[in-house]
Amino acid sequence: MKIVVCVKQVPGTSDAKIDPETKRIIREGVKSILNPFDLYAVEEAVLLRERFGGEVIALSMGPERASAVIREALSIGADRGVLLSDRAFGGSDTWATSYALARAVDTIGGVDLVICGKQAVDGDTAQVGPGIAAHLGFCQATYVADIRAVTPETITVQRMNEDGYDVCELAFPAVITVVKGINQPRVPSLRGVLAARAADVPVWKPADIAADLSKIGLDASPTRVVRTAPPEPRGGGTIHVAGSPVECASRLLEILQARELIQGGR
Amino acid sequence: MREHIQNRRYHVEIVPPKQDSEKLDADLVQFAEKYRRVMASGYCACITDNAMGLLAFQGLETIEYLGLPVPPDQVMIHLNTFHTKPDLDFILSEGRRMGLRYLLAISGDGSDRLPKLQPADVGAEGVSSVTSVELLQYIRSAYPEYILGVAFNPYEPPDHEFAKMERKLAAGATFIVTQPIIARHPVVDELLRRYPAIPTVVEAWMTKKLYLLSDVVGYQIPEDTAYSPLDTLRKLHAWYPQCGVYLSLLGFKIQYPIIEKLWKNLPEATAS
Repeated sequence: MKIVVCVKQVPGTSDAKIDPETKRIIREGVKSILNPFDLYAVEEAVLLRERFGGEVIALSMGPERASAVIREALSIGADRGVLLSDRAFGGSDTWATSYALARAVDTIGGVDLVICGKQAVDGDTAQVGPGIAAHLGFCQATYVADIRAVTPETITVQRMNEDGYDVCELAFPAVITVVKGINQPRVPSLRGVLAARAADVPVWKPADIAADLSKIGLDASPTRVVRTAPPEPRGGGTIHVAGSPVECASRLLEILQARELIQGGR
Repeated sequence: MREHIQNRRYHVEIVPPKQDSEKLDADLVQFAEKYRRVMASGYCACITDNAMGLLAFQGLETIEYLGLPVPPDQVMIHLNTFHTKPDLDFILSEGRRMGLRYLLAISGDGSDRLPKLQPADVGAEGVSSVTSVELLQYIRSAYPEYILGVAFNPYEPPDHEFAKMERKLAAGATFIVTQPIIARHPVVDELLRRYPAIPTVVEAWMTKKLYLLSDVVGYQIPEDTAYSPLDTLRKLHAWYPQCGVYLSLLGFKIQYPIIEKLWKNLPEATAS
């Protein structure tokens, strides 16, 4: 099975600053990490390779320093990696990004499965995985929490929805996005990290993936960011109630009922 | 372990490089330098296992990669319950191959990135989670060649801690290492009264940042609290002459040359 796992470098902080001019996250001076959800995607890809054989290719798009997240995927067990990096890709929104990644998947060739994390923690759009599938015409399933079966032609997954879960059978080639909890990502070994550090990570330009330049970069991105702001910090949720156990329980009940978190009387 | 104490062999904690280190090469060099220095002193190097839940490289793997020796009496590996079963067995079988004898089995601190052993992994029945007791039982049965130690926390409710110690000893522990002791502690005194035949090692907190122990002792220690690690170490020898000493967060530049002379030069009556 030939698996491409998409990984993204994101700011390793919940206190991201926004550039007021460009409305984009200021990444300079902020430690970057592998998007946490992508860790599960990498682990699932490696698990599938361990069970069924084949190859895992880590794919990312970003500045050259984004090769760090590909090396992290290699340290976990990916066989090789590719980084899409060029000024022409800069400013791509989710549509243009998924187009570029889809072109890279097509260039790699013979890919059976693309695995992404359910979303990146910086943009939180959850659009790139489905976008790749749409550009490639692959089957797709999002929010996958379990892979139930794999045959040479199909993959059966359990995907979460708001009411429970669906079980879907997808014909290869397919794209899945995975949620936290689908696996327990392994901790890289020292030798794995050192080998990944020394690995060659090729950098592909638009021409390498035969990308249509009118479909990548800022000008090709239909998304217009009107305003960007970090989410409001969650307010303190602690309420102290005093008194005897019975009094405390009674007061707690009143608070929960007032907030319509529970119904009914005592 | 009794021989460690009789020969005044310090237990020196060494933390392997962190997984997210941005200066891994330098950290590996520093690890090797500390380790070799501990070996040259005849002390016991104690290698932590993802201490505080922070991801670090596994101790034996680091030792093996750096080509460091493993004299059986001079290395102790901490082993906690946050491993997969294959990783646990790999560590234990690699340790056996490398000649390791001493293990400190602890429950440990987890994190989102660390897997947790499940009861079925270690053949434990009737428990909902794996603690150091189940880990000890497993190692004792599957890898009987190891000499197993356990932790003792005098800052926990004593009845609970002593009951747990009974289970740990029944599971195969043959020596005890305490949490950091910063003043003579009645619960440690009680431990030594209850188990005079079990070699016990008291932990000396070797950084001046005493406030870092707030979570351990269960109350907030102000950041500006004055603390002399070396004075406390000398007192520990006086308070607990029958015990070994585990040095955590030891400074290798200034403190190490001092401690190399300290225990050796204490009169016999103080450290017997």
